[in-house]
Amino acid sequence: MYKLTGVTKLYHKGRRVVPAVRDLNLTIEDGGWLAVQGRTGSGKSTLLNLLGGLDRATEGSIKLDGTDLGTLREEPLTRLRAGSVGFVFQTFNLVATLSAAENVEAALIPLGVGHSARRERVAAALEQVGLADRAAHLPSELSGGQQQRVAIARALVKEPKVLLADEPTGNLDEDTRNDIIALLERLWSDRGLTLVLITHDTAVARRAQRTGVMNKGRLTVGQTPAPPPGRPR
Amino acid sequence: MFFLTYLQRELRRRARQAVFIALGLALGVGLVVTVSAASAGVNKAQSKVLSTLYGVGTDVTVTGGNPGRPTGAQATPPPVVPGKSFSNILLSYAAVSASKAAQVAHLSGVSAAAGVLSFSDVSMTFGSGSNPPVVNSLTIDGVGTGRPSLGPLSGATLISGHAFTTADSDAAVAVVDSGYAASHSLKAGSAVSIDNVKYTVIGIVRQPQQGGTPTDVYIPLARAAEAVAAAGWGAQANDVNTIYVSAASAADVSAVSREISALLPGTTVTTASSLASEVTGSLSTASKLINDLGRWLSVLVLIAAFALAALLTMAAVARRAREFGTLKAIGWRSRRIIAQVLGESLALGVAGAAAGVGLGFAGAAIIAAFAPALPATVTQNDGSGVAQVQQASAGSSLSGTTSHVVSVVLHPSVTIGVIVLAVVLAVAGGLLAGVLGSWRISQLRPADALARVA
Repeated sequence: MYKLTGVTKLYHKGRRVVPAVRDLNLTIEDGGWLAVQGRTGSGKSTLLNLLGGLDRATEGSIKLDGTDLGTLREEPLTRLRAGSVGFVFQTFNLVATLSAAENVEAALIPLGVGHSARRERVAAALEQVGLADRAAHLPSELSGGQQQRVAIARALVKEPKVLLADEPTGNLDEDTRNDIIALLERLWSDRGLTLVLITHDTAVARRAQRTGVMNKGRLTVGQTPAPPPGRPR
Repeated sequence: MFFLTYLQRELRRRARQAVFIALGLALGVGLVVTVSAASAGVNKAQSKVLSTLYGVGTDVTVTGGNPGRPTGAQATPPPVVPGKSFSNILLSYAAVSASKAAQVAHLSGVSAAAGVLSFSDVSMTFGSGSNPPVVNSLTIDGVGTGRPSLGPLSGATLISGHAFTTADSDAAVAVVDSGYAASHSLKAGSAVSIDNVKYTVIGIVRQPQQGGTPTDVYIPLARAAEAVAAAGWGAQANDVNTIYVSAASAADVSAVSREISALLPGTTVTTASSLASEVTGSLSTASKLINDLGRWLSVLVLIAAFALAALLTMAAVARRAREFGTLKAIGWRSRRIIAQVLGESLALGVAGAAAGVGLGFAGAAIIAAFAPALPATVTQNDGSGVAQVQQASAGSSLSGTTSHVVSVVLHPSVTIGVIVLAVVLAVAGGLLAGVLGSWRISQLRPADALARVA
């Protein structure tokens, strides 16, 4: 469970202080799905970075299962990211020189998983995202949707508690977008993940349990909408 | 395994840049190897030139001071009578007593010492009227008759007859240089005359090709002392005027040199390194060129190669900011990413070292194949010679310095030490580039790295 209390993140641009996130109080229950919308520069990605321990808050505390990310030193924070947090990026961020399988495998390297166990888990992860037959392909040999599936496999192969997705469908066409969202939804449901998803796309946001809107660093979280028919909860 | 796969793929992806870096390092390293090989070749050539003059294995040479003038019949210049000949024994250096010379061998740091009594037998026939006198000079070394591990015969090759044996120590026998033997039609069994005493030639030797003019005749030391003493030079039995000394190790040479100077004041003590400064001419010029210009050029090229490798690696790291940011986001520690970059740089360093050593060998081979023979001029203070006779007869001071011009072929040699140095340099260059690149990674915050390209 995430518990954010009075979180503020300020950036310094020369003499100017730019508040990216202001006085944010938020709780995200285990297994919850929060979609965050907002205009460019509203602080969405900063929020995601703070949740993932990629950046530190200027003020306030961010607790994940009771651990204050702000007080953790770099080493345990990196360990926490390696074991508990999965990231999916808009631009996929696959290593261009590694195959699909090797990209997924990269997520298991910091966990010290043995070679044969790695191979099994990588194969299973690629199977889950429907890319078992593309394991040896380089990112450049895959479509955008396939690359994002590899990125999702990379995020989930380590069986994290939290999945943080920053505009995962932002670079995809509509059909592929629906496929990826359906995949994320299935994985979220099957694995009991805590999912925080940044999106510009209202259609995507509406499939989440809760939606929030960032505006000038402030987050307004709406009421939990009624689940659409057939939607797992 | 993953480390190597990632490393290999990354280097393959930026193959052109990788080759560029490796070639830059290879060029610097190759130049260092070539210059070192050429330098070793020059040093070898110099020591070869000197060894033929001063003996193989000699680290220190001791020569007596100014021999002064003899007493007795030779003390005054002969009367100029046209058609009349006279013979003169001229000592190269002042004699050192046998007991003092023997002490040299027992100094600490000395592994062996050999004494020689060098002199000349100069005959002069005055011409009639204004015709200049005809001068014939015979150079003689009185040597020990044991096995010659040091001294003027140590580098010689016996081509006919036999060498001295201990039984010859007091015999009127001689070993003759092949050049002198050929010009005077001498062979084993012939006789050679020194100050009107006949010596039986028992062997003909050939000195190494490089070097100065070899001594004409070698006779037993005791016989040499007799000849010199008879001419009024006052030498005692077994006195010598040149001592060839071999040090126990190269590190002992200067200490040995100091000890000898203290033991034998008035003598000239010369080490191999100081002898090298006596070599002049093209060989010396080549040595200076290699040691000065070549070394600095190598250093400059190495610095340029290191800078190139560092800049390209830092640029590559900057281009890979998103990649490293992503790896940090998925839990890779900075140490692991740095190791990956250092591994890539190390691989380039090793490749550069291998190519550099290859280039170095090629450079050395090219020098060996195309370098012209270098003339070397060696100035040798022999204290005697024709010049001395001519000047002495004219009443001027003694000179006694002769120059030898020899032609030396360069044989560059690549040693294991140079190869190790080359590998260390290239790997250091690669690692330096990697460390600078890694420093950027350690400064890279994942959020910044991801934001930079978002």
